[in-house]
Amino acid sequence: MSVGFIGAGQLAHALVKGFTAAGVIAANRITASSPDTDLPTVSSLRKMGISFTTSNKEAAHKSDVLFLAVKPHIIPFVLDEIGPDIEDRHLIVSCAAGVTISSIEKKLLQYRAAPKVMRCMTNTPVVVREGATVYATGTHAEVEDGKLLEQLMASVGFCTEVEEDLIDAVTGLSGSGPAYAFTALDALADGGVKMGLPRRLAVRLGAQALLGAAKMLLDSEQHPGQLKDNVCSPGGATIHALHFLESGGFRSLLINAVEASCIRTRELQFLADQETISPTAIKKTTLDKVLQQPGVSSTSVATKSRVNLFNNRSGGKK
Amino acid sequence: RIQCRCLSVKMSVGFIGAGQLAHALVKGFAAAGVIATHRITASSPDTDLPTVIGLRKMGAYFTTSNKETVNKSDVLFLAVKPHIIPFVLDEIGPDIEDRHLIVSCAAGVTISSIEKKLLHYRPAPKVIRCMTNTPVVVREGATVYATGTHAEVEDGKLLEQLMASVGYCTEVEEDLIDAVTGLSGSGPAYAFLAVDALADGGVKMGLPRRLAVRLGAQALLGAAKMLLESEQHPGQLKDNVASPGGATIHALHVMESGGFRSLLINAVEASCIRTRELQHLADQEKISPAAIKKTTLDKVLQQPGVTAAGVGVRTGLNLFNSSTSKHKKN
Repeated sequence: MSVGFIGAGQLAHALVKGFTAAGVIAANRITASSPDTDLPTVSSLRKMGISFTTSNKEAAHKSDVLFLAVKPHIIPFVLDEIGPDIEDRHLIVSCAAGVTISSIEKKLLQYRAAPKVMRCMTNTPVVVREGATVYATGTHAEVEDGKLLEQLMASVGFCTEVEEDLIDAVTGLSGSGPAYAFTALDALADGGVKMGLPRRLAVRLGAQALLGAAKMLLDSEQHPGQLKDNVCSPGGATIHALHFLESGGFRSLLINAVEASCIRTRELQFLADQETISPTAIKKTTLDKVLQQPGVSSTSVATKSRVNLFNNRSGGKK
Repeated sequence: RIQCRCLSVKMSVGFIGAGQLAHALVKGFAAAGVIATHRITASSPDTDLPTVIGLRKMGAYFTTSNKETVNKSDVLFLAVKPHIIPFVLDEIGPDIEDRHLIVSCAAGVTISSIEKKLLHYRPAPKVIRCMTNTPVVVREGATVYATGTHAEVEDGKLLEQLMASVGYCTEVEEDLIDAVTGLSGSGPAYAFLAVDALADGGVKMGLPRRLAVRLGAQALLGAAKMLLESEQHPGQLKDNVASPGGATIHALHVMESGGFRSLLINAVEASCIRTRELQHLADQEKISPAAIKKTTLDKVLQQPGVTAAGVGVRTGLNLFNSSTSKHKKN
């Protein structure tokens, strides 16, 4: 089985690194594509031994499971580009925040009768095989397709199926979650440095404390509040610290963060559902690169995405 | 004579105290296989602690006599609350031998205060101070230690071998330990609070509670692991997750607006400052009668080998009120 990635950025890189470390698929059975070869992740992907190409169509041809690892607003554009190349064997897995299965199926139904689509939301710690992934299965994908995806994603972390309408909330929580953690770790280290610790040690201890606590929680049946109580000895240092956190509304800030990320995800979904890509959202040089790929015609891409491609070199009839 | 202090199969470990910390360390050591549980003893006058059952189930030997623990151990962890330390030291002082390595885990209690007490009983007590945290229970602890006047480098290495089996462990200057307490000692509590809140956020947006807790904890774990395995700055890793105009950067803004970072700096600071306060109280060397239950005192005095005079004089406690009223007050 071969795996392809449309997109060669952070997400593709993290997944490839995780999959190869897990040994769940050989690097030479992975292809990644992007018209932009300047991405810092491209050289790293090449070093891992996968096949990199500037042609999305080539990635589609070489793959059985095809991850769409591009930004949400690019999805309709990419779907029109590779639509004609999708075969019965293909399992399309979209990782794009806010992009619904129905919007993807709607596009692909113009090319195929029963496109197999899945939607997943994962996160960057797949790179160290501690990701958090959820997925939902589309109309024409079978239970076995879900199990196949689950096998892949479980090799790089936690993976479970969910109802599609929960995925935006998951985006807010575990999709964005690592960024909340990195911010917290930077601040904890600042606290340690303020109280006299060297920076490297402070970063190390902060990260280790978070990791250990998270692992305790995952391995325990107990409520996080109970685990917190167990660490707070009477009159001790920890309960003094917790009072500061509560006074400042620490919990509320995190609820706000999950909510803000989820809401923004739903906004992105709304924009994506409009099905057309604004010309302002694509660089002319990128468009050119795409059009130069073998098999891509400006009419097929332009008509459906309604981008005006006929201004300079591609002066064919509109 | 050079003693090899590598962790040998014949080495025994004891815990004065049978509460959360002792339980977590025993569980971690047992899971790591670094020492057999039948070579572990834990003691406490209080048999009602919920952790006592856990310790027994793991195969550790539990006793109500701290002196028995000392007699059975080579490495002796002091896993009691800071204000109890002087009391315990006076109780077990006479039983300390040359072989003993005393490892205090008590927040804010200095090596010099422990050595000062033990010097009443021995010319060269080997003392190490450490600060660890509860994730040792899942072998992902964070431990630092400082070596006392009479402990050798090999003693430090021995402790490091034990503690490294249950997580990260490194030697530090003693004067950093209070700051470490504020950061990684208390750190797990900050994390539990955060996961509870993140889960609330997930539930607010429609997720079932169990899934929300799972995803929140997994996201924190994964991020922490990424940072530990990366040479990159946490800010760089944060940048990598925040795609332009995306969901994450929107969330980060609300966090920054609320002073999220500052709250965590405050927390580390508050915990460190309180630790230093506790140190000051402990350095006063006497334990207030208000800090010990009479029933606990009685239990201690009933242990073989413990005399009211031995315990009372140095701690300044008036032990002669109830059942010990036959003895003369000094």
